[in-house]
Amino acid sequence: MSALVFEMKDTPDQRLDLSPLVPERLNGLSRKDIQAIEIGTTRETLTVGDAFKVKGKNAQEIHFDGTDERCDKIGAKLAGGEIFVDGDVGSQLGARMTDGKIEVKGSAGVLAGASMTGGHVAIRRDAGDQAAGPAFGETMGMKGGFLTIGGDTGALLGERMRRGLVVVGGKAGDYAGGRMIAGTLVLRGGAGRYAGYGLRRGSLIFTEKPKDILPTFSDSGVMEFDYLLLLEKWLRGTGMRIKLGGRARRLMGDMAVLGKGEMLILA
Amino acid sequence: MPDLKIKGITIVETFAEAFPMVGTRIIITAPTMEWALISARTMTGFATSVIACGAEAGIERTLSRKETPDGRPGVAVLLFTMDADKLQKQLRNRVGQCVLTSPGSACFAGLEGEKRLKLGAPLRFFGDGWQMSKVLGGKRYWRIPVMDGEFLCEDTTGMTKKAVGGGNLLVLGKSHESVLAACTRAVKAMAELPGVITPFPGGIVRSGSKVGSKYKGQIASTNDAYSPGLKGAVNSALPLDVEAVLEIVIDGLTADAIHMAMHAGIHAIAKGGSRTGVTHISAGNYGGNLGPHHFHLKEIVG
Repeated sequence: MSALVFEMKDTPDQRLDLSPLVPERLNGLSRKDIQAIEIGTTRETLTVGDAFKVKGKNAQEIHFDGTDERCDKIGAKLAGGEIFVDGDVGSQLGARMTDGKIEVKGSAGVLAGASMTGGHVAIRRDAGDQAAGPAFGETMGMKGGFLTIGGDTGALLGERMRRGLVVVGGKAGDYAGGRMIAGTLVLRGGAGRYAGYGLRRGSLIFTEKPKDILPTFSDSGVMEFDYLLLLEKWLRGTGMRIKLGGRARRLMGDMAVLGKGEMLILA
Repeated sequence: MPDLKIKGITIVETFAEAFPMVGTRIIITAPTMEWALISARTMTGFATSVIACGAEAGIERTLSRKETPDGRPGVAVLLFTMDADKLQKQLRNRVGQCVLTSPGSACFAGLEGEKRLKLGAPLRFFGDGWQMSKVLGGKRYWRIPVMDGEFLCEDTTGMTKKAVGGGNLLVLGKSHESVLAACTRAVKAMAELPGVITPFPGGIVRSGSKVGSKYKGQIASTNDAYSPGLKGAVNSALPLDVEAVLEIVIDGLTADAIHMAMHAGIHAIAKGGSRTGVTHISAGNYGGNLGPHHFHLKEIVG
């Protein structure tokens, strides 16, 4: 059975809420039913049929083609199945998702992977502010799962994150890991200012020494971390080859708050 | 019916009687294979029989860097007891005292399964509040600060209720030397196989026992029917020319694993034929009424 494909027709003159287009909702629906689903966000009614050409059948594998930065909430609350996006996406990509996989070839807007609890979100290019941060109405950010961002991120990456793993290929913005409760960020291209601001627990792993380190992070020196070897091997199992090695400098912080978090800077 | 023979060695028409056990597998890694083995041997020391050791344990096999979760050299260890509570206690004590303490070690689950045993979960408190939890791919790991860095330990490991203990082979021969050599070969052959351990010293036990004794309070005593020095006095199971008997006891995660190990063992013993001095291969049982698993030698050979 071929994948269910949503091909964008023209750019609609409003933002789209694509949260209904997840396998759970679409399973067993006829094409007509799918085309009738409302995805508009203004008083102007807009249905799937208005914005997308719908092809294929298998709702466990959904493709979006030609989307742009105004296509919000793709894969929000996703509970299983796979979503592939050829294009950019708007805000709240995979927000509150619990399982499944989302792959985006372009960039994502704000709150990508917000409060997600499981599954895997892979963004080929950049992500906006508060990736892995708290979704609207939530007190905590990402609570589990795996988020990969190939390019750069905006500010407040992993804000109030509670659990889970984020890997950033490019540079993270200011306040990366801000007020993080726990979890792990792997930062391959460094971060902006104030990384780890208000970090309670959790790990910020830098493959290179960051430019600015908050004075409230306290140096514990270099030692060996078997955890890094475990993480390296686990990442390799997902197809990511990142050399972490076993040795790193550990800075504990943020001492202005609980101070049980850490920056691990590969040595 | 004529006796079955392999290369002149008689395969006695009998069976090994074995018992259900609960078991688990853990993986110990270290900076070098030498240190992974030291840790594993320490953890599986004094674990020959549940009668007085609390558990039966042994090294299943060594693991290459490719096979371990952290990419370091490792060792797979199997641990067996008669029930889940005892297994939990033995696991905690043995990992806590022998793996946590071992330089550079880390400890991971080696068995999947619905039933879980706590592995790092109780040991994390050694961290006194400085321990860190890390979840990777749905599995929780604990990072516990210690003097040489961190002890990395998975939160739980799997447990199986389908384990079997007490698979065995008895090897009879015309000299101690020949029987010991044959059993050593068999243990070596079994060590290659997955899912089994031979918990006794070097895999071999010389003091096979029978249930009960003439002395009050002695629950097991020497197997007089197989003691060569008593041939003239008791109802012996041994021909007059047998000088020594040794036993290999096998514990496995499944009955199939024990079946395979006994098969490999018998063929390793028989390798040199009767010329080596080995005369019989037999097995121990209690008449078949105690243990639900019966491994008939005839079926195993065939």
